[in-house]
Amino acid sequence: MSDEPREEGQGPDAYTRRVLEQGLSRRSFLGRAAGGAAAVGLFGMGASPALAAAVKEPKAEGFATSTDGGATLTFLPKPKPIRDREISETLTFDVVVVGAGASGVPAALSAAEHGAKVAVVQKAPFALSQGNTGSGIDLAASEKAGVEALVARLIADSNHRCDPKLIRQWAYHSGEAVRWVIDRAKQGGATVVDQGSPAQRAILKVNGYSMGYVTSFFGPKPYTTGDGMRALAKTAEKAGVKFFFQMPAVQLVQGRSGEVQGVIARGHDGKYRKFLAKKGVILATGDYQNNRAMSDYFIPDVKYLERKQMDRTGDGFALAYWAGGVFEPIGHTKMLHDFDAGPASMCDMPFLAVDRKGRRFVNETVEMSLLNNYLKDAENAGHYSQVFDADYMTQAATWPGKLVPPEGLKNYMPDEPGPKKGVFESQVNTHKAGTLEELARKLEVDPATLVATVRRYNEVVASGKDSDFGKPASFLAPILKAPFYGIHRRVRVSAICSGMLVDEHHQALNADGKPIKGLFLVGNLGGGFYGGVDYPLTVFGLSLGRCYTFGYLTGRHVARL
Amino acid sequence: MTILTPSRILGFGLAGLLAASLGAAPAAWTSKHAARGVTCVQCHGKSGKPTAVPFRQCQGCHDPADLAARTAQAKPTNPHLNRHYGTQTDCTRCHHEHKASENLCLPCHTRFTFKVP
Repeated sequence: MSDEPREEGQGPDAYTRRVLEQGLSRRSFLGRAAGGAAAVGLFGMGASPALAAAVKEPKAEGFATSTDGGATLTFLPKPKPIRDREISETLTFDVVVVGAGASGVPAALSAAEHGAKVAVVQKAPFALSQGNTGSGIDLAASEKAGVEALVARLIADSNHRCDPKLIRQWAYHSGEAVRWVIDRAKQGGATVVDQGSPAQRAILKVNGYSMGYVTSFFGPKPYTTGDGMRALAKTAEKAGVKFFFQMPAVQLVQGRSGEVQGVIARGHDGKYRKFLAKKGVILATGDYQNNRAMSDYFIPDVKYLERKQMDRTGDGFALAYWAGGVFEPIGHTKMLHDFDAGPASMCDMPFLAVDRKGRRFVNETVEMSLLNNYLKDAENAGHYSQVFDADYMTQAATWPGKLVPPEGLKNYMPDEPGPKKGVFESQVNTHKAGTLEELARKLEVDPATLVATVRRYNEVVASGKDSDFGKPASFLAPILKAPFYGIHRRVRVSAICSGMLVDEHHQALNADGKPIKGLFLVGNLGGGFYGGVDYPLTVFGLSLGRCYTFGYLTGRHVARL
Repeated sequence: MTILTPSRILGFGLAGLLAASLGAAPAAWTSKHAARGVTCVQCHGKSGKPTAVPFRQCQGCHDPADLAARTAQAKPTNPHLNRHYGTQTDCTRCHHEHKASENLCLPCHTRFTFKVP
């Protein structure tokens, strides 16, 4: 099967041109600031390389504000150079990976399997990742036209703002990569299965063309891909990879011409260690959702939304930026879900949904993964509740999704005694009550408001037409009969999935669109794979599938340099 | 060096820490450690620029694995052995000496209502 069609002609492709023009790099910033656009409109202007070259570095930090006048660039503080006499130890490897997650661990193992001597430096005390499903395309079971149709679907999901060559790279290499992760994680003792095509029911045909999938599943919860990556790290250690935990990277080592030669990290003992990389440094440090200023600047939409992760401070973004890397333009892509409060299979079922006060706020055919856009104010902060009554098993029987019967719902109810299975016990938030008022109290919404909302909703249902929000009549079911049920979901930031500009080898590009020697970016730090308002759920497990695939390919590529 | 008055110590945390580096416990601060005879420099260091207490400093006296074993039966979960950090949660994420302690778990795990000493 042919691989990664390239655009013909001279110069960078359309995606890369846009990021170079509108993204944020050290040089583009300096150039624009010098052009007199220090505040409003900063990102509307391109920087001419000639102008930028003539600009002197600003003396102070905090030298710009975002369009709302809020954040400043002090979230990208220039690292204070660490002198050689402060280095307690220097170690030399072929490849140094920063970050032991769903991209970093595969990158390290892949590099080691291709002959490289590899170190992984990780801020946390062990490997970390989230989620369960990671997906790829089974090329042998797919028509080429189907692969291209899915690529087109994913590009459209990203509002046509992603880099098509990276989508194609995932499409044509993910099956191989995900299978490899499953096999190697099993060697390390992981509980993982290939759920294959049945896990991707909605895309078995794309535009009429047949497709097959490789769907890795580390689970069920509370077992996750985090456990999976810790198992994969064991396999990597056996393959010779050296892991250094509680060792955050603080600085890149660069040569005279800017080439990246290694990483300086600070150990748990407070001492600096220099990790020289003869072939390259692969940054796999994840997103920046816990860096408040960086978030406010690049994705103000999530200002009031809660975070699911901790310590995602965008360390790699700052490192790559200071090495000349380019941030994707403002308006990054976000992923906000709640698959835990109630059954995941019911999250997109169009039951009545109410906001944190108890008011109806949306045509409920809007998917859970998009509802954050209606709930991003400080009051709602991502909270809403699905409400239904005793007859839900019959009334919603034909709706999209899969109903869980009342007995099964108990598994998601914190008020039900007994151990829970296949869930995060601390996150379940489904409730049952004899009256709407009691249900409202359990859902933490205003009882009188909920009662009024249900009364109005029942009027709409009785009329047979949703004159309030236009939901199809087939999804209108009254809420009349006790017991009443509610699922209090709160969508939180699982990930921010925009990153920094890379080429097809995942090598960082500078503001001239030229590769930065020795620097590679994978996982959520790597740009170009998304571009829409929200992460798409067309392919379940796309995010982890992409992380595995690009880690796998990049580790191999750098090892062969 | 600037002369430190009590009001200045109250007003400026870092200035107070400077006093700590001189070995004098600022009287306005309560400290369970100080009550047990631990001096400021034992945690904050002797240099002219006292620093926030690094986790390794806590571990000089407190063994995280031992602590985790002692709270193994805590309900609903053992805060000192968790999915995020294992036994390696930096003590100062929850336990504070000179201000109210906080429950790091609570914002995400709303039923983990530990009382943090």
